[in-house]
Amino acid sequence: MNREGFPGLVLNTMKNLNMVMILYLTMVTAHSLYGYVDENSAMDFLMQVKRMPMEPWKLPVLSIGLYVCLLLLLSIRCQSKRGFLGKTVLELGVVFAISSVLNFSYTGMALLIIADTMSYFSDLKQRVLLVASICVVYLLLDYDLLSAVRPILSLETCWGYYGRETRSLLLGIRNILNSLNTIAFISYAIVLILAEVREKERILGLNERLNTVNQDLRAANEKLEEYARESEKAAETRERNRLAREIHDTLGHSLTGIITGIDACVMLVDVAPEATKEQLKAIAGVARQGIKDVRRSVKALRPDALESLNLKSALVQMMEETKRSTGVEITWQIEPALKGFNKDEEDIIYRIVQESITNAIRHGRADKVEVGIHRDYNMLKIHIEDNGVGCSKVQKGFGLHHMEERLDMLKGSLSYHGDHGFVIDARIPIRWGTEEEND
Amino acid sequence: MGQKTDQDPGKTGKSYGFRAGLCAFLLLLLWLIASDTYQKLPGFDKKVLRVGVFSDSYWEVQNGYSYQILEDAIAGFEKRHPGIRVEYVSGIIREDYSEWLSEQMMRGTAPDIFFVTGEHFPDFAEAGVLQDLAPFMEEDRDFSPERYYASAYAYGNYEGVQYALPYECAPKLMFVNKSILQQEGIAMPGNQWTWEDFYRICREVTKDTDGNGTVDQFGAVGYTWEDAFDSNGVTLFDKKGIECCLTDERAKAGISFIGRMEALNGGYSVSSKEFALGNVAFQPMLFSEYRAYKSYPLSIKKYSGFEWDCLRMPAGPEGENISRLDTLTLAMSSSTKQSRMAWELMKFLTGDEQIQSEIFTYSEGVPVLREVVESEENQGFLTGALDSENAPGLFLLSDAVEQAVVVPRFHNYDRAVEEADRAVRSILESSSNRNRETIIQNRKVNRYLKEMQ
Repeated sequence: MNREGFPGLVLNTMKNLNMVMILYLTMVTAHSLYGYVDENSAMDFLMQVKRMPMEPWKLPVLSIGLYVCLLLLLSIRCQSKRGFLGKTVLELGVVFAISSVLNFSYTGMALLIIADTMSYFSDLKQRVLLVASICVVYLLLDYDLLSAVRPILSLETCWGYYGRETRSLLLGIRNILNSLNTIAFISYAIVLILAEVREKERILGLNERLNTVNQDLRAANEKLEEYARESEKAAETRERNRLAREIHDTLGHSLTGIITGIDACVMLVDVAPEATKEQLKAIAGVARQGIKDVRRSVKALRPDALESLNLKSALVQMMEETKRSTGVEITWQIEPALKGFNKDEEDIIYRIVQESITNAIRHGRADKVEVGIHRDYNMLKIHIEDNGVGCSKVQKGFGLHHMEERLDMLKGSLSYHGDHGFVIDARIPIRWGTEEEND
Repeated sequence: MGQKTDQDPGKTGKSYGFRAGLCAFLLLLLWLIASDTYQKLPGFDKKVLRVGVFSDSYWEVQNGYSYQILEDAIAGFEKRHPGIRVEYVSGIIREDYSEWLSEQMMRGTAPDIFFVTGEHFPDFAEAGVLQDLAPFMEEDRDFSPERYYASAYAYGNYEGVQYALPYECAPKLMFVNKSILQQEGIAMPGNQWTWEDFYRICREVTKDTDGNGTVDQFGAVGYTWEDAFDSNGVTLFDKKGIECCLTDERAKAGISFIGRMEALNGGYSVSSKEFALGNVAFQPMLFSEYRAYKSYPLSIKKYSGFEWDCLRMPAGPEGENISRLDTLTLAMSSSTKQSRMAWELMKFLTGDEQIQSEIFTYSEGVPVLREVVESEENQGFLTGALDSENAPGLFLLSDAVEQAVVVPRFHNYDRAVEEADRAVRSILESSSNRNRETIIQNRKVNRYLKEMQ
């Protein structure tokens, strides 16, 4: 059937035993009833039992038919609690019907229901409750108890057709079958309980292992996080050291040379103005070299995007990423190809756009930013507008200041106002314009 | 554990549905078998009514007309209800009849309606094989129980439930040898006579007529303490059959009357043969016995030596001129599938005037319908067919039936009566204190009744 292993085997044995028992009881009863008729003592029998027994041929037919119904019901597995309760009540009804066909001489089929129910609930309380109530029904199905309520044909009377010794033998066989059924039931219960205990132990063991593994995992995780933090710090430190070294190597070196040179010039200027001039020229050279070094350093710090892509693609990528990461709606219109700018200019354009968008999101709390880059003759115009809170009186933060300084370096200009959202306009002269036209 | 099958849930649901459907179908089929409803299905419905009947007369007389009335009734019934066939099994003698009926019931082949003898009626009623007729009687407007003699009708009643209708009956009457009375110069007593009249006549006729020293003419034979009880208003057992009332003053009077009657014969046990020989003045007899004797050539010879007449039983001081009634009843099987038709046939057999009046012709009993017994036609029949001079008046017969005693009967009634008879014997034989003996014997009978339950 649908249960594997040893408990299933015991259960099947029980089912077969019950079938044999029912067949045995009904066949013997039918035989003895026909016996009464054949030996012409039907009247005596009727007067003795004061009750009309069922037609003998119906006994095995009905009881086996009902038993097949019971087996069918038992084989149905109900998932819902209500369905299960209904099924159990129906099963009990069928058991009652079989028992009444057997004149309540045997009610062991009820044990089958109990055995089936025992395997159902994992909740101990529910199971005990249900099994207990079925047990009560089982106990109430007793012949002596029921015969007090209504007259029932006793098996002993029915089998009175046989002689005393034969009857004892027949009743003995019934008792043996009954006991076998009970033993099978007890075995089933024990096997089931043992299996359950084993199962529980196994689950307990598995749980323990799971806990241990979990703890290990958590510890490893914590370590990993610590590593990450440390390596981040290390990277920062390394970067700082690199910057310090860079500044020291480039600016420090040049400045030291310039200071020393200028000190010498101060002493020389009155004595040998010519030599001072020479000296100043040399200092200027050092300063230029210094600038060159600084530029090289700065170049090393350029945005990655600009390093690998052209300006336009870098801008688009940056805006796309911001859009994606912040959810702010950024629209842009970039007309010219943006080619021909040197690296300083590219850096500045990139930084202006980046800084403005950052400001719009951070300070203006905008959710819409428009970016426009146009070329107007020899002038590149950058217009950035947002729908943020804006501000009536703009306080120049480090960001704006920095932008202005940068633009100054390129001889460009910056204007802004914060009446409705925030609007920034930057203008950068294009130096290559003529050259391009010349190309 | 709560295992679940690993099958695909859709497939599982389907196969469970199939199983549930199969189960429901099987249960329906089993119900059809268990309740015998299947017999109503088209293939099984045969429109045949079966009647359970025995071959010889209920009154233990062979008269050669055993199935005549039933045959006539069947012919009439089939004419009235075309399409219905009525069958009966012939050849079962009365002695085997109840056993045959029981066997048919146990096999599940019980006739739809069957005759029930008086002795086994309570047993069958108690076994639950008889159909309660109340629903049919209530529904049927044509049916009126008043047409039957109340006593005969009550015979089909067991513990308040009407299980059977009377078919034919016979009251107990006192058979009188008129020749002896005339010879002794004693006037014929009237139908209102009493125990004292009865005793007086008996004492006067008990004598040694031929002078050989032994008494050879007797007062009465076959008059039992039961007859005395019936006519003195005593009911021997209560309805449930658990209490005997020998200690009742009326019962005591009855016992002492029997004692006086027996003392007249001086210890000689008179047999009914003496009555046939014309040596006894009185013998109580069922009307059927009287008719049987009357119609048999042998019997005519038997009673040819004297003139006789019928009287109602003598009344005790506390009772009336009444006696027992024996009735053959007709009952319906509780397992019949054609109860409506069965009821119609029962009604026809017991309530049709033509059929009932055939009882006078072909049987020895009395019809159970008052109108049939008292009809002029039958008045003529009785005076014609029977000895005109001696035939009991129809109204005497009618009254005797109507007023007859119906004793409460129960399972093992006969054994209980045997036990009571033994007790009465002991009381009669006890020489010293009859009163104390009565109490002791009554207790004994009660104990016996309790054991029998």
